[in-house]
Amino acid sequence: MFHWLERNPFFFALSVFITISFAGLIEIVPSFAQASRPLVGTTPYSTLELAGRHVYIKNSCNACHSQLIRPFKSETDRYGHYSMSGEYAYDRPFLWGSKRTGPDLMRVGNYRTTDWHETHMKDPAAVVPGSIMPKYTWLYENETDVETAYAEQLTIAQFFSTPYNKAIPMKDGTNKIIKMGDSIAEANALALEEAKVIVADMKDQNIKDAVESGKIPEIVAIIAYMNSLK
Amino acid sequence: MNKIYLWGIIVAVTMLTITYMSVIGSKGGLNGDIVNMFAIGGAVALVVIIVFVIIKFVRQMQVDTADGELSDDNWDGIGEYYNAIPKGWAIMYLATMVYAMWYFVIGYPVNSYSQIGEYNEDVAAHNKKFEKKYASITGERLVDMGESVFLAECKVCHGLAADGIDGSAADLNVRLEFRTVKDVVINGSNNFLLGSENPMPDRYGLMNANKDYAPITDAEIDAVSTYVANGMSGEGGDVFAGACSVCHGDDGAGMVYVAPNIAAYDITLVTNVLNHGKKGSIGAMPAFDRLNAKQKEAVSAYIISLSKGE
Amino acid sequence: MTKNGPLEYDYSVSKLFIMNALFVGTIGMLVGVILAWEMAYPEFNTFLGEDLAEYTNFSRLRPLHTDSVIYGFTLSAVWASWYYLGQRVLKVSMAESKILMFIGKLHFWLYFSASAVIVLSLLMGITTSKEYAEFEWPLDLSITVVWTLWGASIAGLVGFRREKALYISIWYFIATFLAVAMLHLFNNMEIPTMFVTSPAGETMIGAWWHSVSMYAGTNDALVQWWFGHNAVAFVLTTPIIAMVYYFLPKESGQAIYSYKLSLLSFWGLMFVYIWAGGHHMLYSTVPDWMQTMGSVFSVILILPSWGSAINMLLTMKGEWQQVASSPLIKFMVLGSTFYMFSTLEGPIQAIKSVNAIAHFTDWIIGHVHDGALGWVGFMVIAAIYHMAPRIFRREIYSRSLMNMQFWIQTLGVVLYFTSMWIAGITQGMMWRAHDEFGNLAYSFIDTVTVLHPYYTIRAVGGTLYLIGFLMFVYNIYKTTSAREVEEHELQNASPMGA
Ligand code: HEC
Ligand code: HEC
Ligand code: HEC
Ligand code: HEM
Ligand code: HEM
Ligand SMILES: [Ca+2]
Ligand SMILES: [Ca+2]
Ligand SMILES: [Cu+2]
Repeated sequence: MFHWLERNPFFFALSVFITISFAGLIEIVPSFAQASRPLVGTTPYSTLELAGRHVYIKNSCNACHSQLIRPFKSETDRYGHYSMSGEYAYDRPFLWGSKRTGPDLMRVGNYRTTDWHETHMKDPAAVVPGSIMPKYTWLYENETDVETAYAEQLTIAQFFSTPYNKAIPMKDGTNKIIKMGDSIAEANALALEEAKVIVADMKDQNIKDAVESGKIPEIVAIIAYMNSLK
Repeated sequence: MNKIYLWGIIVAVTMLTITYMSVIGSKGGLNGDIVNMFAIGGAVALVVIIVFVIIKFVRQMQVDTADGELSDDNWDGIGEYYNAIPKGWAIMYLATMVYAMWYFVIGYPVNSYSQIGEYNEDVAAHNKKFEKKYASITGERLVDMGESVFLAECKVCHGLAADGIDGSAADLNVRLEFRTVKDVVINGSNNFLLGSENPMPDRYGLMNANKDYAPITDAEIDAVSTYVANGMSGEGGDVFAGACSVCHGDDGAGMVYVAPNIAAYDITLVTNVLNHGKKGSIGAMPAFDRLNAKQKEAVSAYIISLSKGE
Repeated sequence: MTKNGPLEYDYSVSKLFIMNALFVGTIGMLVGVILAWEMAYPEFNTFLGEDLAEYTNFSRLRPLHTDSVIYGFTLSAVWASWYYLGQRVLKVSMAESKILMFIGKLHFWLYFSASAVIVLSLLMGITTSKEYAEFEWPLDLSITVVWTLWGASIAGLVGFRREKALYISIWYFIATFLAVAMLHLFNNMEIPTMFVTSPAGETMIGAWWHSVSMYAGTNDALVQWWFGHNAVAFVLTTPIIAMVYYFLPKESGQAIYSYKLSLLSFWGLMFVYIWAGGHHMLYSTVPDWMQTMGSVFSVILILPSWGSAINMLLTMKGEWQQVASSPLIKFMVLGSTFYMFSTLEGPIQAIKSVNAIAHFTDWIIGHVHDGALGWVGFMVIAAIYHMAPRIFRREIYSRSLMNMQFWIQTLGVVLYFTSMWIAGITQGMMWRAHDEFGNLAYSFIDTVTVLHPYYTIRAVGGTLYLIGFLMFVYNIYKTTSAREVEEHELQNASPMGA
């Protein structure tokens, strides 16, 4: 039987393919039916938050930071409630990471603040002595790519019915609407509005001036994203 | 004994010693934590199994000879024996297969394992263990406990010495810094310091009783801020008495439901800051609801102990 | 070439891939060494100055390291081996068919160009964040084309073969081809964002290369680690097994110990590997049963993995003098041993309670490099050492240099994994530790600063490994002009100069 296969490359390849494919079918497909439903209170990312998420990915922060709180007392003490599947419903891609050189960031918005990030990202070791996190000085100069974030919002609204501009029920019974612009100009305006809220808590005058003049440095976007992680 | 066994033992013992020393010497320690035991057990098993299995094969290279029935096939000069499958390997293979089947059909369903269930049990056990201990902790021990919370949670912002790291967070060795007081007097404050929304008015709401309730002046603001930041002493006491003591009391110790203690930290104030966070001239202080009541009490005790004697 | 004369194999494509493996291997490992020093001494993040720090910091460089050593170094070596041994065990020469030759060359040059674009794009920060599948959709497409060309080459050589039965190495190459094709396609399901139109009618909004994953959250994680785990299986394992099954018996002149063992290990590996991906998501939000599945299958996986390694070690039965005298065989025997090591370590780390500590720590990084440096690295080096004399028809320039390289690199690997082992367990335990009051015993930064000595040791180990690799590159370079040898000297043991 096997000798026969080894002389018939086509059937050999076919057998290999069958052997390797059905594990995927059994393990992955069933989960698709349930795993992408949002938890009540989970909202899609706003324009600036999404742009900040892109900055996070661009700089591979996930190389050092996880976003997955495992159900252990030691982790929930340190980071807050363990992660639940529905909280990730709008995460494309997921950003669990696989290495914790730095702490988990799943809920960092709960216990770190705009002004703290502002000084920390510029020189981590100055804020946390002994930190081995790199300085991210260029985030203070590079401008945020809001348009790509907007394109992504449009795409996910169209293909995955991500609820932008729709009432989303919150835990306390109220509704929340995450706005998405009707045009590039409007998307930029929305992002700028969010940026103004962030820079109000910042100290760096250059950043404040930049936002005043309508530009959004990457640091502002990434802080918006950090603050959204709750 | 063949020298290779000696080598095996040396390698295994060296690796195990390194592991042992680093674990016992490490700050984590075994702690009787079952998960720690598993990890160490795994590491030990790994070293021992590998070293001795490899020695077995090396011995075969050294003393055995290759033989067996050659198959007819030959590829680029490479032949192939029809040797039987090594027994140990075959048995282990079968055993793991049987184990897997047992596990899926019986082990797993019967256990009805749930990782969240396991977590809930762990937390309950942990809390039970410590709640008893907590209840009796007071005085110095409470301060020690508070320091432990502080070092794990707060030092990233307030610094190891609780001095606020060059002014980027509040210096907790003093009750209030000049800049905070001045900012609050000018702009007011609305930080739930009393546990509920109960704002302190801004400068236009602060009248100096000593001066016919005239609104507080710039000079007076500086004076009173110095006075408060100095631990309620020095110049400016008169302004304080005139404009502030109605709410904060003559000695600045505050009044229940009216205004917080600004002469010294107290547990109510710290607990409220931890429950609601705080946003002031220095920056934003996040809320720490996830600490339990005893931890909040302890960290308050620690902060109070820091500013003692100021 | 005459009909009846001996086949003249044509190694020109193989040679190109070997060059690329040496070149990208040097770069990839150099970047690895830089990363290691950056973790020990963060000042290195700006080693080209503050202005270039955006391109030299740890996080920007890390994907460059992983992708260049896996897809640049390892895959090049795999393909070099394919274009070398594929001809020999199937008894067809690339020179026999212009089409095959064209496919081979096109395969190389497209791969080479795509790699260059990948390097640039990673430096620019164009990534989708998925580990080992960072590339955006235009690159995914090029990768698909490159992969298809390899498939065409396999189909071609196998189709023209004169050797009826497929040799074991060919089984593994076919499996590699099929599995990676499947993994790549499904893990890269993504929608380019440039095709969308805003309500205001604007098109081509934002970066044209950007895309968004078809899967969200937990599902995305499931697909990614089904991919990630099996990318390890089918890029860092099966093609390397294909290599060891050829180069070890060939170099030593020994027959494969047991056909049955080859057979059972192969089909066992095919069946079991795919199920084990769940071990990357233990204690996550994927359903418990799937995690359990990953854990249990990982333990079973020891056996089919060890099967191949045992088969190799038993092939050397009674041949200790060869192991002792030939550095080339040393590389392969130690490589097989490291393979056993990492395929026992992996399953142990896949046990849920062990993973509770190991996951997210440096212990995993240690595991990765036992396999990557000890198994993949050593096998690639051995394969190239074996091929070089046959491709250039010259003896290997220096045996003593090779011996020295072997010991330096072995020391490097040992330093690497022991330090990461200790670092990982220490870190894992400190994260879990509660003090006498039931509070967390350490703030996160305490668990970072204790690792400094281990990070330094790792960096030293990595540097040693890199030095060894440079000695290897030099040795191969000098081989191209070393003493010429006769055909008959090339039958088994490779000729080596002093
Ligand atoms: C080389 C590894 C590394 C990289 C890359 C890295 N970090 Fe960190 N990060 C750390 C370490 C270590 C800490 C803990 C010490 C500290 O707070 O600085 C940390 C801490 C943090 C914290 C504080 C979290 C807390 O709970 O205290 C935030 C927020 C953070 N990093 C964000 C980022 C972002 C955003 C990026 C990418 C732009 C990034 N990090 C890249 C290693 C890294
Ligand atoms: C009408 C009552 C009232 C008067 C008068 C008043 N305060 Fe207050 N003060 C409060 C209340 C209420 C708070 C707590 C506000 C909050 O929750 O943020 C407070 C908070 C403060 C704080 C902030 C404490 C902290 O930890 O941040 C300072 C400083 C302070 N007062 C100083 C003064 C000084 C100096 C004066 C006089 C010039 C004054 N207050 C007059 C009611 C008063
Ligand atoms: C992300 C940074 C951050 C962390 C973490 C943090 N703090 Fe703060 N904290 C601040 C800042 C900033 C202020 C100053 C707010 C202001 O008044 O402007 C502050 C203020 C305070 C105050 C009020 C001081 C006053 O005069 O009213 C207390 C009390 C305090 N922190 C205690 C703690 C404790 C206890 C912890 C840990 C459990 C902690 N903080 C963690 C940033 C932080
Ligand atoms: C029996 C075989 C193996 C099993 C069961 C296994 C198991 C594991 C486990 C449990 C992890 C850690 C997942 C986590 O907690 O993050 C892991 C990670 C990894 N292993 Fe293995 N392993 C095996 C063999 C190998 C081999 C031979 C290599 C070759 C180099 C390898 C390369 C890797 C890599 C690269 C990772 C890191 C993945 C990441 O980025 O997180 N493994 N493996
Ligand atoms: C000189 C040799 C090498 C050195 C010094 C080195 C160093 C490193 C460092 C420092 C990291 C990052 C670890 C972290 O984030 O904590 C890393 C990751 C990695 N390296 Fe290497 N490396 C080397 C060679 C290789 C080779 C040859 C391969 C593969 C064939 C490889 C595969 C990987 C992989 C897969 C990862 C990611 C691991 C993970 O995410 O779990 N490395 N390496
Ligand atoms: Ca990883
Ligand atoms: Ca992709
Ligand atoms: Cu895996």
